[in-house]
Amino acid sequence: MDDDPGLKEIVPEARPAEGELLIDMRDICKSFGPVRALHNVNLRLAPGEILGIVGDNSAGKSTLMKILSGAYHRDSGEVLIEGQPTNFRSPHDSRERGIEMIYQDFALCGNMDVGQNIFLGRWPRRGPFLDRKRMYAESRAVLDRLKVDVNSVYQKVESLSGGRQQSVAIARAISFGPKLVILDEPTANLSVMATNRLLETMAELKRQNVAQIIISHRLTDIFEVGDKVMVLKRGENVGEFAVAETNEHEVLEAIVSGTPANA
Amino acid sequence: MSEKRLPNSLFGSWEVGLTIFMLILYAVGTYINPRFFGSSDALLAILRESSRFGIIAVGMSFVIVNRDLDLSVGSTVGLSAIVFSMIFAPTHFDLGPGTAIAICVVLGVAIGLINGVLVTWLQVPAFIATLAMLFIGRGLVLGLTGGKNIGYSVKAQDFAIFGLGEDNGLGFNNQIIVFAIVAILGALVLGKTRWGYETYATGGNALAAEYAGIRTNKVRIRAFVISSICATLAGILNVLQDKAVTSQYGQGVELIAIAAVIVGGASIFGGRGRVLGSCLGAILVVIIDKVLREGVPITRTIDIDGVEMKINAMAQLPPGAVPAFIGLILLLAVLIEPVVLRRNLIGRTWARLRGRPLPPKPDLGGVAIIGVQTRGPRVTPRSFEPGFFGRLALRRNTAAVMLAALLWLVGLWLRPDFWASIDNTFNLMLAFTEVAILAIGVTFVIANGDIDLSVGSVLALSGATAAFMMKNLGADPVVAVTVAFAAGTLAGMINGMLVVRFGLPAFVATLGMFYMARGIGAWLVAGRQLSGFPDGFNLTGRKLIELLRYWDIAPTSGLVFDIAAALSVQTLIMVVIAVIAGVVIAFTPIGLMLLAVGGNRRAAEYAGINTSRTRFWSLVFSAMCASLAGIIYIAYFRSFNPSAGQLRELDAIAAVIIGGGSIFGGYASIIGSIAGAVVIALIRALLSLQIIPGDGPAFVMPQHWVNVLLGLILIMAVLADIWFRQNRILSSVKDRLRGRRQVAEVPDG
Repeated sequence: MDDDPGLKEIVPEARPAEGELLIDMRDICKSFGPVRALHNVNLRLAPGEILGIVGDNSAGKSTLMKILSGAYHRDSGEVLIEGQPTNFRSPHDSRERGIEMIYQDFALCGNMDVGQNIFLGRWPRRGPFLDRKRMYAESRAVLDRLKVDVNSVYQKVESLSGGRQQSVAIARAISFGPKLVILDEPTANLSVMATNRLLETMAELKRQNVAQIIISHRLTDIFEVGDKVMVLKRGENVGEFAVAETNEHEVLEAIVSGTPANA
Repeated sequence: MSEKRLPNSLFGSWEVGLTIFMLILYAVGTYINPRFFGSSDALLAILRESSRFGIIAVGMSFVIVNRDLDLSVGSTVGLSAIVFSMIFAPTHFDLGPGTAIAICVVLGVAIGLINGVLVTWLQVPAFIATLAMLFIGRGLVLGLTGGKNIGYSVKAQDFAIFGLGEDNGLGFNNQIIVFAIVAILGALVLGKTRWGYETYATGGNALAAEYAGIRTNKVRIRAFVISSICATLAGILNVLQDKAVTSQYGQGVELIAIAAVIVGGASIFGGRGRVLGSCLGAILVVIIDKVLREGVPITRTIDIDGVEMKINAMAQLPPGAVPAFIGLILLLAVLIEPVVLRRNLIGRTWARLRGRPLPPKPDLGGVAIIGVQTRGPRVTPRSFEPGFFGRLALRRNTAAVMLAALLWLVGLWLRPDFWASIDNTFNLMLAFTEVAILAIGVTFVIANGDIDLSVGSVLALSGATAAFMMKNLGADPVVAVTVAFAAGTLAGMINGMLVVRFGLPAFVATLGMFYMARGIGAWLVAGRQLSGFPDGFNLTGRKLIELLRYWDIAPTSGLVFDIAAALSVQTLIMVVIAVIAGVVIAFTPIGLMLLAVGGNRRAAEYAGINTSRTRFWSLVFSAMCASLAGIIYIAYFRSFNPSAGQLRELDAIAAVIIGGGSIFGGYASIIGSIAGAVVIALIRALLSLQIIPGDGPAFVMPQHWVNVLLGLILIMAVLADIWFRQNRILSSVKDRLRGRRQVAEVPDG
């Protein structure tokens, strides 16, 4: 644990040179025994871009993200982050390089309050003791910068609604100053109202130049905030579209009957 | 092309392996002691003994396949044997055997139902519910018999049913036939009927089973009832054979039954297990039990006045030590699954031996892999405008403080002449100190979402070690205390390793230690009571004033004298530990780490907290506190008694839960646990208080009934925690009365 973690600046100091990719995954393959989960999958993402990954169940969306975050090890292929090859062994490694993942169930401790959750595992200390004042002040600051409505940093997370729990999870991810946030099915457990708030938050993050990848079944959400859509089918790329130049019908067709040839 | 059945997997042939192992063991037994094991009589005797355990194991299979655990079978055996005897015996109710059996069956069904309802609808973890039931049952057995035996061999001659416990014309015991019938019935039900398939589905994935329309609560209650009925049957067979009963009947049976089922190939993680395997497991465990209890003939050479003499002797384990080995077997059997099967140990070892490349380790499911699995939404919005009392109640430890004050006032009201006296206060403080030391350690474990069932046994282990070192080895007190402390700490490390490295549920690991530590303790002192330790050592258990006198710095009067006369050294030690532990939990990141691990282990792991280390050291700390309590115990009593610390795990867990800890983890505070320990000490004192009514004789509750009540209190504390604190049953009832929409859902498990 860092002795004095503090908060990293949310906005990366400098935008990388034009055309430089944040994430470049090339020819990723991964098999589980006889099952071929991913086959020569490519993924490219520029800083501040929002990419939606869609596809049927078992298309390999989650596996690809787990390889990106280091939970799985790829069999072959390359992962470049800001042009540098990486080989993550665990999710902690990818966090060091500015990749944060927000899980479907938010991975928060319901029995603890908002501030304690935002600083989960790296609670600020003064000597051997907790520095509560700083913890709550800085938690408040993150929530404010994210422009989400969580009333009190002293509230227990289990007493919050699903949407607000997600806001806490995003605030927690943002407090690491990430370059990329991966959201796994972010709208699966949310009401319509909360979904709209989430989309606003994502747009806010984009303004702060944080790239995002959304794994989602709901094309509407991706079309609302996304820049690009990538379609996976049986572990292969079957299509990539710029949101501005496509429509839901075209993407759906790729999900259902796309082939690697026309990707 | 017709579909072929898949070839049997390892567990298909598990039973074959068991049989081979059993034959080997039997051959070894015959070799060591041909007199005992060599004859067909011996074989039949083992089968007869196994029948009762086998019957219990058949019932237990249903419970374990359901991913539950029934620790209460031993008490059910004892209770049904006692109830049958009391109803049948001419000295008591003197009724017919039919009536007696009917009442026993009703009792068995009732116990099963209570277990089942507690575990399902009331959401109490199975090990806590049935552990409390175990102690309640034992208390009832002692309370009903008053510790006396009941015999009725004369009356039994008039009833044919007692023939069930006798040998038949073919030369073997009828119980073997009963066992065979129960085993076949059980195997058919579990293997070939819907009931059985429902059981496997519930144990394999309760949520999926529920979604598939299986009423899992009903399935689990059914398993508990089956288990209880089997235990009742075993208890009745036992008295049909013996035609007499003692209060010891059924003691430790739950250990053998669980070990049998696990050895028989069932998984403690549910969803797997077969009746045939359980039956073979029961026979195997009974053979091991027999081998362990059987003496090995040895020749000892002794030197008398310069003449060497050879004498024949029997090397034998003291009876108390046998559970240590059965507990070890239980743990080893439980470890087969996570170590041997999941990590493909056999395949990898075989490949290494042949110098081939190792087959890959199967994916063990790191934290992030589990993370992306779909989980049901757990959104339970709750209103957040508590009033003054609501805010007080939200501080989870307030209730314990208020309860402690209330109980003290009750004591004062009952016995104004005696309650507030220095003597009584001193005694209360002593009783409180032991519970508090244990509770402080258990607080860390429970905050983590684990449990430590072994604290009472570790207390006994460390006490026995210290006593053994000082009396038998003549060790210096400092050395003895150090070794005893190390022994207890080692027990905690084993607990920790089992839980963290091998992924065993904490209740299984510490249940194994529960039997092992006490067994080893009993082995060390060989069942004797050791006493007569050095004076300097005993001061650890004395009043402060005696310590000061020992150092010649005692004041003779004044306030310091009064305080030193009322305080004991152990209370001071406890206060020091409590302050340190309290500061650590409340004001350092370690406390938050504990709560985070207990609240959501996956989230904690993902946030970079080393959850394994946290859980490991909590279990070790708990064992350290227990060993300290053991050392203080023998210093206070100036002797070691093998029953030291019995039931103490109940007290400690109840204290933590009353003090605001949650049995599911994530909540705990030292102040709360200390207040909970005060509550437990006060309840114990109140229950054993001599009540002098205005008219009539004084009344004291017998100790056996106190144990029954303490078991009840643990259950009540857990229930109150789950239903009042976590599910806010009061506010949802209030909401419903006001006609509001009810929003609070019951979170699963």
